[in-house]
Amino acid sequence: MSHTVLVCDDAIFMRTMISDILAQAGFEVVGEAETGVQAVERYKQLKPDLVTMDIVMPDMGGIDAVREIVKHDPDAKILMCSAMGQQALVVEAIQAGAKDFVVKPFQPSRVLEAVQRVLG
Amino acid sequence: MDLSQYAELFLAESREHLSACNQLLLAWERKPASLEPVGGLFRAVHTVKGMAATMGYAAVTDLAHRTENLLDHLRRGAHPATDELLQLLFRARDALEQAVELSVRGRERDLDLSAITAELDRAAARAGGKAGRAAAAREPPPPPIEALAAPGRLVQVVLRAEAPLKGGRALLLLKRAQALGAVHAVSPPPAAFEAEDFDGRLAFRLESAAPADQIRERLRATGDVESVTLPEEEERRAAAPAAAAGAAVEPARSRHLRVDLRRLDGLMDLIGELVTARGRLNELAAERRDPAIDDVTIQISRLTADLQAEIIQARMTPVWQVFDRFPRLVRDLARQLGKQVAFRVEGKEIELDRAILDELGDPLMHLLRNAVDHGIEPPAERRRRGKNPEAEIVLTALRERSSVAISVTDDGRGIDRATILERARRDGLVDPHAEALTDDQLLRVLARPGFSTADAVTNVSGRGVGIDVAVTRLRALGGSIEIRSQPGKGTTFVLRLPVTLAIVRALIASVGRERYALPLTYVAETVELGAAPTTTVEGREAIVLRDRVVPLVYLRQLLGVAGDAPPPRRPIIVLEMGDRRSGVVVDGMLGQQEIVVKGFDAPQGTLPVFSGATIMGDGVPALILDAGGLV
Amino acid sequence: MSDAGVVRLLLFRVGRLTCAAEAETVREILPRLQATRIPGAPPVVAGLVNVRGTLVTVVEGWRALGQPEPPTGSDGGTTVLLEVGGGRRVLGFTVDEVVDLLTVDGGALERRQALPGIDPTLVRAVGRRAGHLFVVLDTDALLTPVMPS
Repeated sequence: MSHTVLVCDDAIFMRTMISDILAQAGFEVVGEAETGVQAVERYKQLKPDLVTMDIVMPDMGGIDAVREIVKHDPDAKILMCSAMGQQALVVEAIQAGAKDFVVKPFQPSRVLEAVQRVLG
Repeated sequence: MDLSQYAELFLAESREHLSACNQLLLAWERKPASLEPVGGLFRAVHTVKGMAATMGYAAVTDLAHRTENLLDHLRRGAHPATDELLQLLFRARDALEQAVELSVRGRERDLDLSAITAELDRAAARAGGKAGRAAAAREPPPPPIEALAAPGRLVQVVLRAEAPLKGGRALLLLKRAQALGAVHAVSPPPAAFEAEDFDGRLAFRLESAAPADQIRERLRATGDVESVTLPEEEERRAAAPAAAAGAAVEPARSRHLRVDLRRLDGLMDLIGELVTARGRLNELAAERRDPAIDDVTIQISRLTADLQAEIIQARMTPVWQVFDRFPRLVRDLARQLGKQVAFRVEGKEIELDRAILDELGDPLMHLLRNAVDHGIEPPAERRRRGKNPEAEIVLTALRERSSVAISVTDDGRGIDRATILERARRDGLVDPHAEALTDDQLLRVLARPGFSTADAVTNVSGRGVGIDVAVTRLRALGGSIEIRSQPGKGTTFVLRLPVTLAIVRALIASVGRERYALPLTYVAETVELGAAPTTTVEGREAIVLRDRVVPLVYLRQLLGVAGDAPPPRRPIIVLEMGDRRSGVVVDGMLGQQEIVVKGFDAPQGTLPVFSGATIMGDGVPALILDAGGLV
Repeated sequence: MSDAGVVRLLLFRVGRLTCAAEAETVREILPRLQATRIPGAPPVVAGLVNVRGTLVTVVEGWRALGQPEPPTGSDGGTTVLLEVGGGRRVLGFTVDEVVDLLTVDGGALERRQALPGIDPTLVRAVGRRAGHLFVVLDTDALLTPVMPS
């Protein structure tokens, strides 16, 4: 059975890209979220095996969303999506409970490596 | 402790960092909102400060400190680049360079840095106003070595250099380590992981009984890990004395060693003599026909060749070491002259012999100055002609067969051939009825000492000196220069240079009883005279080779060689230099060999077709023909 | 060369002439070495020779001093290496044979420059040895045809 994924990003472009990368690798993208609040709601609703989480999102940021999700499910497997220059934010996200991170611009191979580490 | 022995090293490293500062400032100027150049500048200046403090150069240390302080405020406040800031930082960089140079020469007292330091402080105060709180929160990192005195096994980790956001990766690694056992004494402290300049090296103590291999494997699974070192390996590598505490936070030591260029030159000379002696040995062995001597001779030949290849490699230097100063030069010139230029450098990693590279700086500088000053048009004129007001100048290094081609290309107005033709006619440099100048003729005219067509004499290119200087220098290095220019579209100068200077492979040709060496660098092929029909093109005898006309040069006539009439069937050595070719007719071929290039004092009247001389295996000198003079 | 004081001279023969050079400018005396012709150079330049790995330009003595060409095949001859231009350069000078090393009183030399058949710029002074005249050469002047001005 393939793993289910929730993709959280405020940009359609990024969501599409991540979804494509994961779908091609055999994952099932079960939902998308474009704000932190949505991400938390969808997580509770869908209980995906994996979440990809953008750091900067309107409404509620990705890091706060990680905190909320981990509070609800300490075993949540969250992969942060960050950009260069966000070192401090990534560190904060990991402290909040994110399991790994990838850096934009995404290379499919690196995304999949990180996903394997998070799920493995 | 005597620090003077480190002065040269200090100088060389400081120069590198300050050169990098120029690149970073230019990068910041292009992307004013980017933070990365500022971070890079901060690190470079910080490094210089640390070295200068160790050397006891107070003025450099102070200036670097104030510059670093400003950069830190800019970095923390995420200040965008402004023209004012850039100008100040460029000046601070220049002042640092001067301070470094003078300090090393023991002339620190000649420095007056009060104006620049005052300005840096004022700018820092202004920048600090916006970022004051952040700056105050910054605390000096504790010395990392102390952290190592704690229970557990010492684990040293280096993340891959290309890994992004190393701090995040390091934190993930620590979490994995914690799954294996208690983690103590993390160095640098995890707070440092949040800093953008965290370099991906960390060390910690791990209380775990797991086998080293298992620990390593688990930690490596974090991703982006270059190496994990545990005490077991440490002991195995005990031969390296640096494996003490200091190395704990710096496990990946550079394997490079700086060598004084004079040492390399001395070594090269010795190998040159060895190559000559080997030639003599080969000849003797051939006479003796003793298998035992042959064996040794072959072995010595091979060893000599290996040794030579090694030393030549050791002398190879990437061109960026010279190229890196040009972006700043072009930028400053363009500003001074009110031009807009996008300057690009390509092929920075191409390598050349250090001695050749050192000679290249000045000719290239002349050509770039020419390009900015005369080559490209002012923005308004470019707009009128429907061009992008920002001109483009490209400096490219390209490896060709056994030479390197370095070109300077601009998209400017092109060389005004009509004006030059007029001047050339007036000065009697060309036939008074000549209608047009070919690229070759153009170069010959431009290369005349003092020939200038600049309508205004500026302080940039001076009085047209430049191209003649460049041509002379290049010839002396066994290189050549070529020019291509199209009106309205731009000009390209191509410099071709041998990759190495001191030892080259050459064809040895005989003419009468004399021998001449022709470096293979420019030899395209050899054909036989008499086998192919000759023809006459523009009054010169030539052969047609694969649909191309190759004019012939009879060395016997050219060099005035006495002796019997040559055999009718003789070799033609076809030389190729850029688009130009010529066939050099000799009497015979004596083979190929490595020759050691030596200079000689050319007496008055010596034909301008020699680039040097060499000593043959029998100890008698032979002259080296310069392809540039024959093509 | 000072008029007073003692001067050490190396005496050598070129054709019918006996010549001398100040001994302190003589770096080495070598047998005649095989020279490589330099095309385009003036005839007075014999060519390049290899002195233990260094290339040295050699001036043909008999041509410089207007003497008849020595018979071909005579394998004799000597090359004197001279320091010229204040010791900055080394120049070879071919002679028929080295005759003597002589210490003379500077005052005994005459400043006579005009000698039949010899380029006057090459003559620095004239001395006598056993009743015969010898010419003290201006070795720097030998450099003139060799080096580009």
